[in-house]
Amino acid sequence: MKEININGAIMKCYPLCAAQRLHYYTIKFCPTQVLCIGTGLYVKQDVDFELLKKAVYKGYEMFETMRLRFVPDEDGTVYQYISPFEERDVPFRDFSNWKEEDAHNEMRKWTAIPFERYNSPMNKVVMIKLPGGYSGLYLKVDHMTMDSSSIIGFNKAVLETYCALKYGTEMPTPMQSYIKQLEKDLAYEAGSPARKKDEEYWKNVISESEPMYTDFAGQGRLLTQRRENNNPDQRCAMIISKSPVASISVYPLEKDSSMRLMKFCELYNVPMASLLLMGLRTVLSKFNDNEKDVSVKTCIARRGTLSEKYSGGTRIHFFPMRTVMEPEMTFLDGVKMIQAEQNKIFRHANFDPIEVNRKRAEHWKNTPGTSYESIALTYQPLSLKKNTKEMPDIPYKSFWYTNGVAGQPLYLTVMHRPEDNGLNFNFEYRVDAVSEYEMQYFYYYLCRVLFRGIEDETRTIGEILDMI
Amino acid sequence: MLEKIKELICNYVEVNENDITEDSRFIEDLGFNSYDFISMLGDLEEEFGVTIDETEIIDVHTVGEAVKYLTDLKEQ
Repeated sequence: MKEININGAIMKCYPLCAAQRLHYYTIKFCPTQVLCIGTGLYVKQDVDFELLKKAVYKGYEMFETMRLRFVPDEDGTVYQYISPFEERDVPFRDFSNWKEEDAHNEMRKWTAIPFERYNSPMNKVVMIKLPGGYSGLYLKVDHMTMDSSSIIGFNKAVLETYCALKYGTEMPTPMQSYIKQLEKDLAYEAGSPARKKDEEYWKNVISESEPMYTDFAGQGRLLTQRRENNNPDQRCAMIISKSPVASISVYPLEKDSSMRLMKFCELYNVPMASLLLMGLRTVLSKFNDNEKDVSVKTCIARRGTLSEKYSGGTRIHFFPMRTVMEPEMTFLDGVKMIQAEQNKIFRHANFDPIEVNRKRAEHWKNTPGTSYESIALTYQPLSLKKNTKEMPDIPYKSFWYTNGVAGQPLYLTVMHRPEDNGLNFNFEYRVDAVSEYEMQYFYYYLCRVLFRGIEDETRTIGEILDMI
Repeated sequence: MLEKIKELICNYVEVNENDITEDSRFIEDLGFNSYDFISMLGDLEEEFGVTIDETEIIDVHTVGEAVKYLTDLKEQ
């Protein structure tokens, strides 16, 4: 921690944690990147916008990370601090006479505009009126300040506060200190025994043997690069692109089908993320000549304790998840193998993911920008839905707006719809890497694998690969 | 041991300590997810001075099973 004079006030400023550095390096080395996340949460109800504004202010007060700002010191090193509470304007935008699609496109455009990086608010809330009687909030935040769990937490807190003010229900659960969690993370990074243990784990994982790159669009990328580099044994591929322009395709899985996946997880005591990873790795195998060695980047939200869950901020770490599965292995055994692997990663998930990538590239003497993973997966179990007696059957709509750029060729986020708890598959993809048609094709195969697997858990991977 | 485990559980999920019994299932009854559960292992190791193998703990589904697993581990 160091004290920095900001506009005449001495502020306590803290270094960035590993999760924030990941985002910071993205914009440092790729200036066209945008770190904004946009969301919309709308309810079919006559919203009292004055009350909603009060609820938003309460949210600003409760969430330290809604007041988080950045500042460089005299050497250019970036620090963070919590600015005092202020009643910033919460604008209102009436889209009720627009076509709904145009309204969402407009909000997508807002999401593509980056925030001023230093000494400036890193979020924006707009009260929205949509056509069809829906009203609610558009929220844009900088990813260095909040992740999807924090965003969902903020939206829920605002909705709960609104209900408390309007109907006299309970106020939301108080938030925990962000700075306290940050201090814990920074203490871990400063050479703690836990960090040393984690470093040892990742060193062993990296040096075990070299993984194999498998692309969601088939073997073309790797084969081309092998030819270009005159290296027929090359196992990693360059995934960095000159153009980070991205698009998002959302495929909603029907409620009943989603329930079947959830029931399978419940029946066999396996997490949904393990099932989804099993689906992904099997499709990648199919698209890459039935490759047995498949890796995917998995996202760890790192929110175990209640203090972590209620402290806001950005805590996500991405790690490589390698799966080597023989065709004779059953689908269920594959899911359980992934579950066991995930559990190991969970125990060492505080380690800096950038360090893991750096150490791996060094160990296998890879060119910067190469990877063994073409896809990153996030499963978000939290839903934006607010469950109150006062708003039991009111239709909800929730949206995640793309900021128009992406570092990873394909980033899949699976989350529950607030309206029926069904699963939405959000594919954010770089348009130079894949077309929307190819994305649909990939999703189609993903569903085929998942449902072939769960309808008979004793089916082997080889049988499933033959069936689809 | 049960009381201490109950206390630790309350650091991870929103549940009343008095509602936790030996039959309570971590995921279905107490609302744990797999990350919560694995994160708690570090606290259990520190509290009871044991080393937990995450591949073995995968078969522990209830609080009672956790008590038995930890008791056996301490006696080894």
